[in-house]
Amino acid sequence: MALFEAKNLSAGYENGFVIENISFSLKEGEFISILGRNGSGKSTLIKALQGLLKNVSGQVRVDEKNIFLLKSRQIAKKIAYVPQIFSYSFEFSVLEIIHMGRYIHQGRLGGTSSLDSRKIEEVMNLTEISHLREKKIAHLSGGERQRVFIARALAQDTPLLFLDEPSSHLDISYQVEIYQILKRLQKEKGKTIFTTEHNINLAIPYSEKIMFLKGGKVQAVGPPKKLITRENIKKVFQADVEIRENIHSRLPEISLIHKPEEKA
Amino acid sequence: MKAKRLRLFFLLLVLLISGFLISLLVGPVKTNFSDLWDFLFNNDKIFSLIFIDLRLSRALLAFLVGASLSLSGAILQGYFQNPMAGPFVVGVSSGASFGAVLSIYLGLTIQVIGFSLQTIFAFFSGFAIVSLVYLLSQRKGVFKVETLLLTGIAAGAMASSLTSFLIFLKSESYQQAVFWLLGSFHLSDWNQITAVFPYFILCFFVAQWLAKDMNLLALGDETAQSLGCPVNRVRKIFLTISTFLAASSVSVCGIIGFVGLIVPHWVRILIGPDHRHLFFFSSLTGGIFLLYSDLLARTLLFPIELPIGIITAAVGAPFFIYLLNQRR
Repeated sequence: MALFEAKNLSAGYENGFVIENISFSLKEGEFISILGRNGSGKSTLIKALQGLLKNVSGQVRVDEKNIFLLKSRQIAKKIAYVPQIFSYSFEFSVLEIIHMGRYIHQGRLGGTSSLDSRKIEEVMNLTEISHLREKKIAHLSGGERQRVFIARALAQDTPLLFLDEPSSHLDISYQVEIYQILKRLQKEKGKTIFTTEHNINLAIPYSEKIMFLKGGKVQAVGPPKKLITRENIKKVFQADVEIRENIHSRLPEISLIHKPEEKA
Repeated sequence: MKAKRLRLFFLLLVLLISGFLISLLVGPVKTNFSDLWDFLFNNDKIFSLIFIDLRLSRALLAFLVGASLSLSGAILQGYFQNPMAGPFVVGVSSGASFGAVLSIYLGLTIQVIGFSLQTIFAFFSGFAIVSLVYLLSQRKGVFKVETLLLTGIAAGAMASSLTSFLIFLKSESYQQAVFWLLGSFHLSDWNQITAVFPYFILCFFVAQWLAKDMNLLALGDETAQSLGCPVNRVRKIFLTISTFLAASSVSVCGIIGFVGLIVPHWVRILIGPDHRHLFFFSSLTGGIFLLYSDLLARTLLFPIELPIGIITAAVGAPFFIYLLNQRR
């Protein structure tokens, strides 16, 4: 049975749909990455799937329930979200930010329960940010901040975890680190993970499934081994690449072809 | 943080009690501690008028208005995600003042204990201004702080000019214009307290009820919603109560600028941005701030009374400039 399912989903903003006719499903514990060029509709898709957009048609179901009929509170019990752009207007500390992830588990006037504290410690250990707890969020590096926001999403304690380009703004070592944390969450905690990504090589070893998005439409869905081909990359990204095998993972990997400059 | 809050609380408590005591003792009629003693324990009738009806009501009103404006400011700063917002800066106060003067101009000033037409007028015109400012400072869904502040100031100036126009048409008294544009407590009585107190208490409890939601809004609307916050409803409620707080204040004592801007900002620096504590401490600090400002307004050029807006602007405007500079 599918934990999460989209059927003929179209969505967008005031001036029309950006993504059209998207259908796919996620089983419990799966890791899927959405790949596509800038402007292909990745962020729109990840928002629409959680009911954050108003202009939608089609169906999205989580645990067989229609997401467009659920209250934000009910959706937040199923899906946690790490957005691509973090805004933080005031000087909240790391601990305060992670506490916000417990919102749905607390009463409006209620304080922090022992379960809350336990969960918060657990997610800080998982993401290795315990030493940063008193720091103000604005004083952290990009990688640290990304881990804090992942920890906040984990504190929400949901079966599904959605991340919008978790590797953007990060340097190479942090990119790998973030994906390793995600993989561990999938393996150890049984989380179902949905990410959008434009770094193809980064997504390949971690995802069971990838989905190519182009011009707001699904081009292909399947395991990376099958989908990562010269022709598909050309079709989706308009880029000429070679495909080779990564010597460690034995999985396909793309390498860019540098064209010599054309003479005028 | 907890120890910090406790220390601040005791400091504020001491300031509050001494502020009320000084307010009771200072006034046109010379009084001292023994008069207050006489009144309290020997039931002196003359002093009852001075202490209770004149001075206590005034001190209480100053406190309540300060608390309302600061709470309104704390809410608006959270609402606009910006520490430079406030009921005066975004134009709510000026809008509300116009509404109050308009209701007087039209002769609609019925009051039934705590529920006055003047406050309703003030509320709707204040609400109209803040909604207008909000819509105008959004460009293609992107919200710019500079635009917000400039639009707010322009809309406020517009409303103030309309207010002045109405006053000019209706009355020859220069005093009235000063009252509405610069604020004063010299008309305070118990009736006015009943026109502010219920709104303050109600709005304070609503704000406290939704304080966690306000914290979530600091992460952006989409993130707040994904964390389970009913963003649209919460935003509507906060805008309504912050306008009500400003409108009820303005309709009893005119525009008192900058209180709602500097107090919450200063409190946030001291105890952090958590709105569960910020709302309470802003209200308390704002009340004390206006209590002392009013004392200054009454005594600085004694026996002449200064409009209190002069005092708060003299303190607040430099602070505002300091904040603007800090942003760079």
